[in-house]
Amino acid sequence: MERDRTTHEEEEDDGGGDWGSRSSSYTDCSSCCSSDLEPEWLESVQRNGELFYLELSEEEEETLLNSQGVNHVRFCENEAEMISGDVKKDKKTEPRFKKLAKILKNKHLGKKGSTRINSQARPTSILKHQPSQKTGMIVHQQYKDICLYVNPNRLLEIGPNEKLNLLQALIGIVHQSSRTSKLMERQGKCDAVHKWTSNEKLVIHGLIPESPAARSRQILIGDTLIAVNDVEVNAENIERVLSCIPGPMQVKLTFETSVYDAQIQPPRLNDEAQPSMNHLTKLIWGEEHASHLRVVQTIPHIAMYLTLRLESDTLKEEQEILYRYPVSEASQKLKNIRGLFLTLSDMLQNVSGSRIVSSSLILNKQLVHVSYWKESDRLFLISVPAERVSLLHLKNMTADLVRTIKFMYSSLDRAFCQAENVPRLDHFFSLVFQQAVRLSILNANPGHGPHYYDASSAHIVENLPGVRWLSLPEDVKMEIDTVLSDLEALDFAELSEDYYEMRRLYMILGTCLFYKGYLLANHLPKEDLLDIALYCRHYCLMSLASERIGQLVIWREVYPSFHLEKCGTPSKEEYSEPEARYFLLIVGMKHFMLCTLLEAGGCTSKAMGTPGPDYVYVDQLRATLLQLELLDASIEERLNASPNPCLSCADWFLPSAKDRFQSVVNSVMLNKTQTPKKTNFSLSRKSMTADSPSSLRTRRPSPSRSSRGSDHGSDGVMENTNITSHSTPELSRKIGRRESQGSGGSEGSGGSGSALKISKKRYTLPNPFNLGSLRRNLSEREAEDLYNTVKITSGTENTLFHYIYLETIQGVFIAPTHRDVEELGGSIHPQVIKNFHRCCMSIRSLFQQTLMEEKQSPSKADTCRDFTGLGPVKEHGILFECAPENWTDQKKTPPTMSYWAIGRLFLHPQPQEFYVCFHDSVTEVAVELAFKLSFGMPL
Amino acid sequence: MEGSSVFLLCLTASSGVPLYCRSKRSSRQLTFSVIGSLNGVHMFANNQDVLLTSTRTENSRVLWRTFHESINLIVMSCDSNASDHSLNRLLENVFSTMVLVIGLDDLMNIKNVERLKKDLRACYKLIDSFLTESEKIGDLTQCVDCVISNDSVILQECLDGFTQAAESEFGCLLIGGKVVVATEKWWRLASLDAMLLCWLVSSLSPHSSRDYPVYLPQGSPTVPHRLLTFQLVPGVDVCILCGPSPSLQKVELELVERFWKPVLDPVKSCLRLQLRSFPISLNLHQGILGFLLINRDLNKSLYTVQVHPFEDTQRSDIKCILEHRRASLRSFYTLTMLRYFSPEHHDGKIQYEEAFPEGFTHQAHQCYVVSSSHKCYATKTDLHFLFLLFKTNVPTFSMRAIANKTMQVFTKEFNF
Repeated sequence: MERDRTTHEEEEDDGGGDWGSRSSSYTDCSSCCSSDLEPEWLESVQRNGELFYLELSEEEEETLLNSQGVNHVRFCENEAEMISGDVKKDKKTEPRFKKLAKILKNKHLGKKGSTRINSQARPTSILKHQPSQKTGMIVHQQYKDICLYVNPNRLLEIGPNEKLNLLQALIGIVHQSSRTSKLMERQGKCDAVHKWTSNEKLVIHGLIPESPAARSRQILIGDTLIAVNDVEVNAENIERVLSCIPGPMQVKLTFETSVYDAQIQPPRLNDEAQPSMNHLTKLIWGEEHASHLRVVQTIPHIAMYLTLRLESDTLKEEQEILYRYPVSEASQKLKNIRGLFLTLSDMLQNVSGSRIVSSSLILNKQLVHVSYWKESDRLFLISVPAERVSLLHLKNMTADLVRTIKFMYSSLDRAFCQAENVPRLDHFFSLVFQQAVRLSILNANPGHGPHYYDASSAHIVENLPGVRWLSLPEDVKMEIDTVLSDLEALDFAELSEDYYEMRRLYMILGTCLFYKGYLLANHLPKEDLLDIALYCRHYCLMSLASERIGQLVIWREVYPSFHLEKCGTPSKEEYSEPEARYFLLIVGMKHFMLCTLLEAGGCTSKAMGTPGPDYVYVDQLRATLLQLELLDASIEERLNASPNPCLSCADWFLPSAKDRFQSVVNSVMLNKTQTPKKTNFSLSRKSMTADSPSSLRTRRPSPSRSSRGSDHGSDGVMENTNITSHSTPELSRKIGRRESQGSGGSEGSGGSGSALKISKKRYTLPNPFNLGSLRRNLSEREAEDLYNTVKITSGTENTLFHYIYLETIQGVFIAPTHRDVEELGGSIHPQVIKNFHRCCMSIRSLFQQTLMEEKQSPSKADTCRDFTGLGPVKEHGILFECAPENWTDQKKTPPTMSYWAIGRLFLHPQPQEFYVCFHDSVTEVAVELAFKLSFGMPL
Repeated sequence: MEGSSVFLLCLTASSGVPLYCRSKRSSRQLTFSVIGSLNGVHMFANNQDVLLTSTRTENSRVLWRTFHESINLIVMSCDSNASDHSLNRLLENVFSTMVLVIGLDDLMNIKNVERLKKDLRACYKLIDSFLTESEKIGDLTQCVDCVISNDSVILQECLDGFTQAAESEFGCLLIGGKVVVATEKWWRLASLDAMLLCWLVSSLSPHSSRDYPVYLPQGSPTVPHRLLTFQLVPGVDVCILCGPSPSLQKVELELVERFWKPVLDPVKSCLRLQLRSFPISLNLHQGILGFLLINRDLNKSLYTVQVHPFEDTQRSDIKCILEHRRASLRSFYTLTMLRYFSPEHHDGKIQYEEAFPEGFTHQAHQCYVVSSSHKCYATKTDLHFLFLLFKTNVPTFSMRAIANKTMQVFTKEFNF
């Protein structure tokens, strides 16, 4: 106990707690890289054993370097001129620009009765001796000097009508005077010790993209610029000082960083999360994040954890607030009415006998929703304006947040009531709010690209109890499964128990593999998978992995509800979960991310204290990833394959300036008036081919076609891809040949049949999880084979725009890949997709109600009073109509295109949800048929 | 608290004195402390410059509204069919009722609370009729419930003549609170006013004639008009809205007999329409159980859940079945209007509910729901909304065609 305290104090004395290490960690990691023995993330391991280490990929760094253009900036950082005569830090190293290691500081979770300090408590690795943490290296940093290369001849320009001052134009620092800065001050950005009485301080409110300041990556929002080349500056004289810079030169800027002086401020480190978080968000969202940050600051939002039980003897102010974020002016009003939340939650529970769910308020003429989560006498609530997050979404979001917090800290009480978690939670919630705001911003401006698709689908996709799944060819899938199984067996030399004759540290409960945010393989129970996916989503790892990871290592203790709940209840089953501790290890490399859930204490040795990541395991995971990387090509191939079921772009159904589309429209019109079967499929396919060469890309046929029906439907889907990618009119000859080739095996023709069928029925998605359906359909398909082969030459219309299919046994959902959507392009299409997802959110809210009722009363007594409104909703559809944008022809009324967004819920055998978006011209019979076929139900 | 009970509280905004409390399907009242806290949280928020509008728990909802900074209305509903939208409408209707009966002046400047309490008793019947769902849907749509009669041409002529003779321009013929025919000017009344007048007449106990002072909440909230009603046959009333003249006696003695005696048979035949809302002669698809048709221009609606009355009467649990249908159609209406069919127009008014449809970049035109008890279909045209309630055995794909046909029948043949 004694020693524990001393180290703790030591750390405080180091100045500002471990947050000081944030800025020094860049430099630290450069030193550690010199030795091959120690992994570069070692320095980032925290006191409680947790690790969040992220490094950009090489390409990413290069693009960053290239983007600097002619301005070759020399970066150098003179560290630390300490006030109050502290230790002088003399490290003068070239800052490793490449390394953007981030530490999300967190102190250990309060192991009562542990008398050992962490380095001892950590179980020794089998292989190497882990060095103790270099606490001495962590130095509190009050001021930092940053040298920037500036060129007054090349001033930054943002827009013709926007005039920038020198601070913005030359260096790229945005400072907003007075009002905003006061806001910052309230947040405690400014050091309380130094009261600048005379002039307003130059607090950095934003960085201009591509500016020297932004590129340096060392200037943080919230820092205060106090000197330029040792000349003291403030808001008044800065322009004058800067105008004295004669020509291109290197200037030294001195900043006061936002690190607290621990001795003066109470250890409430709210704002400390901000800078470190800025890094993560900046990394993910690029320079946009500064503008997001600005928006976030102005909107009223709050996350609070309140207690209803008050200790009467200590009548402190605000004692009912156990946690809140953020501490900003915009959230002040929400904080002030906390009494209302408490009263309502208590009173309404007494009166109505049910838990409080949500409230709506009008605040500054803005509708603001509050969503609650009540557990015994504690109340967690989160509040966001309605225009940012719809109430439907907010309710689900709250449940997800609570789930993730419990996953990370075991319970809400443990998360919020321990002071050392505060900065970590601050970081967590600022990410949450920023994500929410970012989504609403992106959603407001329909555009293109994967970001937009992400944003428009996020509201529904984020709350689905499933993970985005990418079906793979059977052989690739098998390979992945084998590699993962090998890893899970932990049978390699170093880890085998015989090797060192001691029990191994951890057992791998299961792994799941993500590629660019898609789930490729999962060897975990569904609940664990969802827990991990939620964690990754909340820390933006999914979007990160879709772009660029050099190296990612995450290690932390977790509390998976699935195992812990089972363990808690003494069950009569033969097997009960051992009393164990669980750890999450995520290793990422390039586009791959491998998540592993480790168990300590079951058949393995008990975990003591707060163990850090063991690098035998990390190395092993990395080796596995390297092995998997070989499959990169085939996965990419799958991603590049034309979408299946094939998709159409909404714009093809509207006339545009281009002539070639005219015919498409004609045939659509014809279609609607006459027989919907005679169609423009060939035309739309042609235009698609013209647009995207990728649709001609072929996939190598998978050699193994299992009639097992494949547990994840990869073969059915993949075979289809194979053929549809050929099925352009020009290549119809090829099809015929393939047909004859394929006739040898029944599966072959079955596959092709289904492909043709799909193009006929537009959106048939073979049920990938139902063995029966595939088999059953086989004969049907064969029967229709001939018919279809004939059909394809004349072509058939493809009217499917988008779909989402959720399967709850596996906890996965399937939707078109980002690339599918991107390739379709179009100007109306993104809007269609956006509306579709918004509809899904609404449809799903009805389904959720149905599912809840189903859970409550499975055998519904059909009494008179028991009905509720619509009753259990099974299907819900909405028809939209749209006209082309920029319709110039005044004489004619613009043509319209109608499309359906439909959701269906299948309760049996297991809940499945299916959402589709398709053109109106589909006959009703075809819709019915497709739904039934796709789920293998008798017609 | 029992399931599906609803409590309505009215308090003065300044002092929080309860003016009245009405409830539905509840044996007991809310305790005073609960009333106090409900009003207290709202006042507390108000002091903090925050307007609390609604809160929901897993099985109940509470809504707060302040009107003209003098009257607070609070509704607490444990009805699973209720939505924020329907409760908001309820509060609006209740306040409008108070204006209709008492006038806005007395409500804005409360001088004597006890006196006001006494005056407000006159509203109870109308307020209670809003709390208990009925065969009308005007409380939710804020449109005038109508019936279509085969004899509407004769009745219209007669009504026009009668109204003119009574020196008024506003007249209508009501059966059970639903409009059979009305003068052209009547349709130009604010929809809320016209709806309230119909509900008022049907909520009052039957009288052969009546001279009732009314303030029109939208049209003239401070200057009262006279509402004259005359019972032609039990269940059928003719109303006119007029100024100081003519006197009730004069109209009753001189005009009623003269104009209405000759058309007594058509008037009586209207009684048969009350539940079905349209003539027996018109046959709709067998799968249709009920529907709601709204004319967006004139703010009138046609609403029934007994499209095939003869089929239904044979069943023993008919009351329960009808109630279920009403609840389904109401829920479907609320869902569709709130989520997809964009709200009409909110000119500068404070938004009490989230405008979900505003997030869509394209206009929704049709919508359907399939549940295990019913199927519903909604369609929107420039002039109409149509909401249909189907039996479950109607194929989903055929609903659209049926909806279009039904729309045609009423808009083209009956010119609704």
